[in-house]
Amino acid sequence: MRNGFYTRLALTNLRKNAQTYYPYILAGSATVMMFYSMLYLVVSREVASLNDSATLRTVLGLGVWVIGIFAFILLLYINSFLIKRRKKEFGLFNILGMEKKHIARIMLIETVITALVCIGLGLVAGILFSKLGLLLLLRILELNAAFGFELPLRAVAVTTVLFGAIFLINLVYNVFQVHLSKPIELLKGGNVGEKEPRTKWLIALSGAASLAGGYSIALTVKSPLAAISLFFVAVLLVINGTYGLFTAGSIAILKALRRNKRFYYRTTPFISVSGMIYRMKQNAAGLASICILSTMVIVMASSTVSLYVGLEDAVRTNYIREITVLVEDVNSDEQVEQLKNAIAETVEKAGHSIHNPLAMRYVSTLTVQNGNAFNRAGGTGNNRDLALLMFITAEEYERMEGVSAGLNAGEALVYCMQGKIPGDTLNIGGYSLDIRGRVESLKMLEEYGVLLDRMFTQSYVIITADEQDLLRARRALSGDETLSMGYRFQYLFDTKASADAQLRLRSDLKVMLGEMSVPGNVEGREAAKDEFMSVYGVLFFLGLFLGALFILGTVLIIYYKQITEGYDDKERFAIMSKVGLSLDEIKRTIRFQVLSVFYLPLVMAVIHIVFAFPVISKLLAVIKLYNVRLYALCTALTILVFAVCYAMIYGLTARTYYRIVR
Amino acid sequence: MALLEVRNLKKVYTTRFGKHQVQALSNVSFTIEEGEFVAIMGESGSGKTTLLNILAALDQPTSGEVLLAGRSLTSIPEKAISAFRRDQLGFVFQDFNLLDTFNLRDNIFLPLVLAGKSYTEMSARLVPIARTLGISDILDKFPYEVSGGQKQRVAVARALITHPRIILADEPTGALDSRSSDELLGLFGEINRQGQTILMVTHSTKAASHANRVMFIKDGEVFHQIYRASKSRHEFYQNISDTLTVIATGGDRHA
Repeated sequence: MRNGFYTRLALTNLRKNAQTYYPYILAGSATVMMFYSMLYLVVSREVASLNDSATLRTVLGLGVWVIGIFAFILLLYINSFLIKRRKKEFGLFNILGMEKKHIARIMLIETVITALVCIGLGLVAGILFSKLGLLLLLRILELNAAFGFELPLRAVAVTTVLFGAIFLINLVYNVFQVHLSKPIELLKGGNVGEKEPRTKWLIALSGAASLAGGYSIALTVKSPLAAISLFFVAVLLVINGTYGLFTAGSIAILKALRRNKRFYYRTTPFISVSGMIYRMKQNAAGLASICILSTMVIVMASSTVSLYVGLEDAVRTNYIREITVLVEDVNSDEQVEQLKNAIAETVEKAGHSIHNPLAMRYVSTLTVQNGNAFNRAGGTGNNRDLALLMFITAEEYERMEGVSAGLNAGEALVYCMQGKIPGDTLNIGGYSLDIRGRVESLKMLEEYGVLLDRMFTQSYVIITADEQDLLRARRALSGDETLSMGYRFQYLFDTKASADAQLRLRSDLKVMLGEMSVPGNVEGREAAKDEFMSVYGVLFFLGLFLGALFILGTVLIIYYKQITEGYDDKERFAIMSKVGLSLDEIKRTIRFQVLSVFYLPLVMAVIHIVFAFPVISKLLAVIKLYNVRLYALCTALTILVFAVCYAMIYGLTARTYYRIVR
Repeated sequence: MALLEVRNLKKVYTTRFGKHQVQALSNVSFTIEEGEFVAIMGESGSGKTTLLNILAALDQPTSGEVLLAGRSLTSIPEKAISAFRRDQLGFVFQDFNLLDTFNLRDNIFLPLVLAGKSYTEMSARLVPIARTLGISDILDKFPYEVSGGQKQRVAVARALITHPRIILADEPTGALDSRSSDELLGLFGEINRQGQTILMVTHSTKAASHANRVMFIKDGEVFHQIYRASKSRHEFYQNISDTLTVIATGGDRHA
């Protein structure tokens, strides 16, 4: 009986606060749905049966973590907003004679109802959506989908426990909030005369410094390898800087505007600037979060889309011929001939022929560079000093480039792909070579494809007069005087065969290498396409999925921000209209105020993106996407699409805001 | 010509579906001359607030007319009404209605900023007003940092700074303790002596006793009015108090 009373009261409360509670329930259900769907993909048997399931699951598992953490933060944020608005209501209950334990009981029932609805709705939607998600994933990976339905109970259980815990944390927080405050404070609720925020110069400056640090890392990173390790440092610095700038910097700027009397004492700035200073303290964090989220959405969407779109392109730049045979430790011309014959034989046996063959021999070693001195890369040392050296002989150079090298013994030509070598001598492990000249371009690199890994900050091609010089340099580097030549032999060719035939030929060639017992590998464009697809495809899928989630988060944060501001401003505008502010002026002021607050995070996000561009394009190079123009295009498009979405969100929420204020 | 002329004002509120009609004002007529300090008294529900809202152009009468300096309020187009209110009228509210987002100086400047005045002019206008009201020292503070009496004096300054034709005060002492009330009423008397016309709606006999004339409203009509003339405040207080007793006990109207 009495329980019925509390339940009824709780239900009435939820209905009464529909304007703020429905979006909360929507957020809860949506995050439950997304979390479950992603988890489903990780544990599903169908995904487990795929070829590359290990990589796939690792990446998707990362997605599960991201969604879980994001859901946690988002729901906590919305809840704190809800409870702040409802303090007055609970204060009234308190004054009407309800004890705090009774209020806690109502809150418990409310939370249970909300949690049941959210988790229930979310799971049902998730179970329906997960199959759709799976189909989408398989479609992106260009794999065939199996029919059938799967309901992994473990995923259901994990989802229920996680979100149950989130709602429990929210309940505990709310009970504490009400418990800690006195009835009179509860009644006053949100509108306690707040002190004007003071400018926190330290935070503003450290924010600016942090942002500058993050930006300069992003701008100065030279190699993709360094980009991997520094990227997260830069991201953390930028996040920290954004929060610092929004919380302290914004107040400093607004106060400076206020000091400018000619600007400040005009209707629109007068009302907006003062209002913004007043609310900056509570809203700066929200604005910063919106900014960070927007940046994440744009970065994620643009990079994953360009990966997916650029797949074909990336495969072509990385594999200029259909088949690439790589053999290590080749020491003589006879060996090369032997290999070529064996390859030709295998290709013929498979019923194909070799077109556009390309053969090259080189030695490549990783060294540590110090000026013009190169030494063997040991276990220690800074990433930044690593240099990849690729040696070829003048003979090989002339054959491939069609020009004369004109080298005498002890001389070398140098081609700097990345980095610089000062002076006119080379010191390679103590063995010295005169730099006869510097080569500006190398066909073998530019036209025949990527031989030199772009991962390192420094990479050079060194052309020696003959094999003797090459061998000496190599021995000097390794410190082993008995070392043999150890070329890497690379043989590339097209077959003009079908994709399946190419895949078969690749395994035939692998078998052949195995039978000859030579160390080496066979790479095929078709096989690589599949590999690329499994990496790019799953990233693309994750990008879409998390992009949608982050947009949802952005929308909700903006919505709640607008509502809070609406309630705050309602009274202010009522007073001002009594003093003589017209409806038109109110509208104009609101538009200015909302627009500037709205677009501040977006503008900041775009600035972040611009600075992040070089470092992200280097990161994409790690997964072998070198097409910077494509990435730039995708980024621009994504920003455009996002801005349009953002404008729509703005329109919708601004309407709600007007309705509250009026 | 009278500064404010109210002719046969009638206001009928209709409930949303037109089922019930409530007559807030049945027939109100009076005039206020330039430089007067008039108090309007009446019980809750007597129509005081409705009258004030119509005078402030916040509400439209069902019939009848309000003329300020010969100009009918109903003739002012909707677009110009805010500007009119800002330039011609000054408001003092029971709950001050100061904005927490502004310091006290900016609160006072608000109507002038809306009117597009320059900062120099605003500052020049503020100096004598702030001196009169004794708030020169606290102008840089924020509303939540000062007492109720100080807040109300700032609100009066905000009303005065536009040099309005008339100040409309709605229960200005309603939220103040007795000492602050006395101070504020004293200030009202002083600005009135400097020539400012004031119309004050109040419950309080003491507040009304500071006026030159008191009008009593009952059931939507001006029931009675008395002038202070040369009476002392104490005598006038007695006078008002007696009238209220008569009205409350249902006495007949006597002119």
